[in-house]
Amino acid sequence: MISTRYVIKRLVLLIPVLFGVATLVFSILHLSPGNPATVIATQQADAAEIQRIEERLGLDDPIWVQYVRFMVEVVQFDLGESWVHNKGEPVTDILRWKFPITLQLAVLGQIAGIVFGIPIGIISAVKQDTITDHISRIGALTGISVPIFWSGPLIILLFAVHLDWFPTNGLLSNGPLPKITGVLLIDSIIKGDIVMFVDAAWHLFLPSMVIGIYSMALISRMMRSSMLEVVRQDYIRTARAKGQGEKITLLKHGLRNALIPVVTVIGIQFGSLLGGAVLTETVFNIRGIGMLLVDAITDGDYPVVQGIVLLFAVVFTMVNLFVDLTYTYLDPRIEQ
Amino acid sequence: MSTETASTTHEDRGFLDRLLASPFLSDLLSNRLAILGLSLILLITLMGVLTRLAVFVGVLDFGTILDTQFAQPRKHPPCGNPTITGWLGSVGSCQHPFGTDAQRRDVFLRTMYGAWLALKYGTVTVAASTVLGVGLGTLAAYYGGWLDNVVMRTMDVLLSFPSLLLALAVVAIFGTGLWKAVIALTLVYTPRFARVVRGAALKVLEDEYVDATVALGARDWRVIVRHVLPNSLAPITVQSTLNFGLAVIDLAALSFLGFGATAGTPSWGWMLTKGVENGLINGLWWMSFFPGLFLALTVLGFNLLGDGMRDALDPRMQDAVD
Repeated sequence: MISTRYVIKRLVLLIPVLFGVATLVFSILHLSPGNPATVIATQQADAAEIQRIEERLGLDDPIWVQYVRFMVEVVQFDLGESWVHNKGEPVTDILRWKFPITLQLAVLGQIAGIVFGIPIGIISAVKQDTITDHISRIGALTGISVPIFWSGPLIILLFAVHLDWFPTNGLLSNGPLPKITGVLLIDSIIKGDIVMFVDAAWHLFLPSMVIGIYSMALISRMMRSSMLEVVRQDYIRTARAKGQGEKITLLKHGLRNALIPVVTVIGIQFGSLLGGAVLTETVFNIRGIGMLLVDAITDGDYPVVQGIVLLFAVVFTMVNLFVDLTYTYLDPRIEQ
Repeated sequence: MSTETASTTHEDRGFLDRLLASPFLSDLLSNRLAILGLSLILLITLMGVLTRLAVFVGVLDFGTILDTQFAQPRKHPPCGNPTITGWLGSVGSCQHPFGTDAQRRDVFLRTMYGAWLALKYGTVTVAASTVLGVGLGTLAAYYGGWLDNVVMRTMDVLLSFPSLLLALAVVAIFGTGLWKAVIALTLVYTPRFARVVRGAALKVLEDEYVDATVALGARDWRVIVRHVLPNSLAPITVQSTLNFGLAVIDLAALSFLGFGATAGTPSWGWMLTKGVENGLINGLWWMSFFPGLFLALTVLGFNLLGDGMRDALDPRMQDAVD
């Protein structure tokens, strides 16, 4: 079992890290050259107009006042207002509807990766150094080496353009996204709109597959090496020695223990999947948080950039903590 | 002074001898996948260096790569064959084996030159983050205390961002350009090196011979340079090799998103963006296919070699092979 004390200790250790993250995010705006007020102001704005904007945003205050204000606002989940989007839409409102889109994509890709990656890794380990093993290992390394922004367009070209089995981009064929939870597949079920569900799944298939291939490659590699290490342990030898069938030995004693490090990889990788969403969304023209970030950097919409970076860092940190705790739960020796 | 030099060369030879005698090299060289990786890297390096050299001595005009408008119609398919099978039949005997792009530039020459750019910027990124990471990691391990705390907690903060996201945040601060992308990625990779090196250095510092050296009156820098660094070399090399592949892919990713290479630069990432923008949907596959293929091969090469190195260094993996 995992002790409450350990969980609390880990949570406390998180505070300085998150503090550092927020400080770094604060500095994005203040380290960047140029006057932010000119981004908001119209082309013809005169000095007085720019000064008015500076005053409204508090940009004329001393830097430490701005820093304290930023920290206080962040703690209250106030990330400011966009300088470009809909003339001052709160950043939290924008993220509220964009994040589920990205999350949905990452989760679907991750599921595909787990479903295919774990069996492939096990087979590869059990049939070590056979042709099956070699093929799956080279396949996995290729999966990691091929950039999403190359495989994505090629997959679109083949399956969406040439074969015309799937749509080339977007999330729905027509109509606006329903805004219930923000997760399209769940929303369409809530609305009871089966046509929309199928349409959404049809649009999500290719981008999820592209993410899934990468995730599958990583998971199967980890599964293989972890399985190989476990089968050399004494308890496996014991299980075999007492005459237990090979299948039960491998699945019951082997797999259970071999899965522990794989859980870690799945967790850590989930964070990078969110980061990689920037690329997948750009390739498939899905207007999630990744494309929003690219647009915000291009437009100089700093509050949105700050909001996204902060959100991703917090999610990434939380996922990593959760993974660590799961790991400790599965293998209590870590706690010492 | 002279004794110092003599002992240094002696030490170097000793190190090389040890490397040759250790199972590391023979393990690595008997790993077919690692050899394949090494061959890929050498091939791409040769490609890039030769193209750069051809431009340097004047055999190849840089303008030809950058913006010569060939007389062929725009978006000329490879060897005039828009299908892959047709292209395979006539490749090697035609003027534009990889076709031309939307500006009538030769995709083959640009892809070759792209190898040079990928290796150049990749090398600088990896070298800079290795030096920074090794420096910070060693200092943190050696001096410990508050220095260790400040350095490693800063690294923790940097590590709490998904890597591409941190790079984009830095780009948001400093702006667009390949050198700025290099700075961004250096910041992203440095913490990984610092962590690995700190761990390795702490292990070395526990050894008794280090205590003996200190007892004999060796100064800090001597312990670090003569004992800590040589003994942490293995994990540093593996990390650098694996990170090289990542650096090449991330640099291309930043260019692909529009924050790295600027218009016209024959970098693989930029060519991919333009290729996708200008006509993938219309079936003009060659503009993005070739740069992406070489990008993938480069990354695969470094991953294969890095994997092989890690296996050769990890004694547990050898048991697995036996």
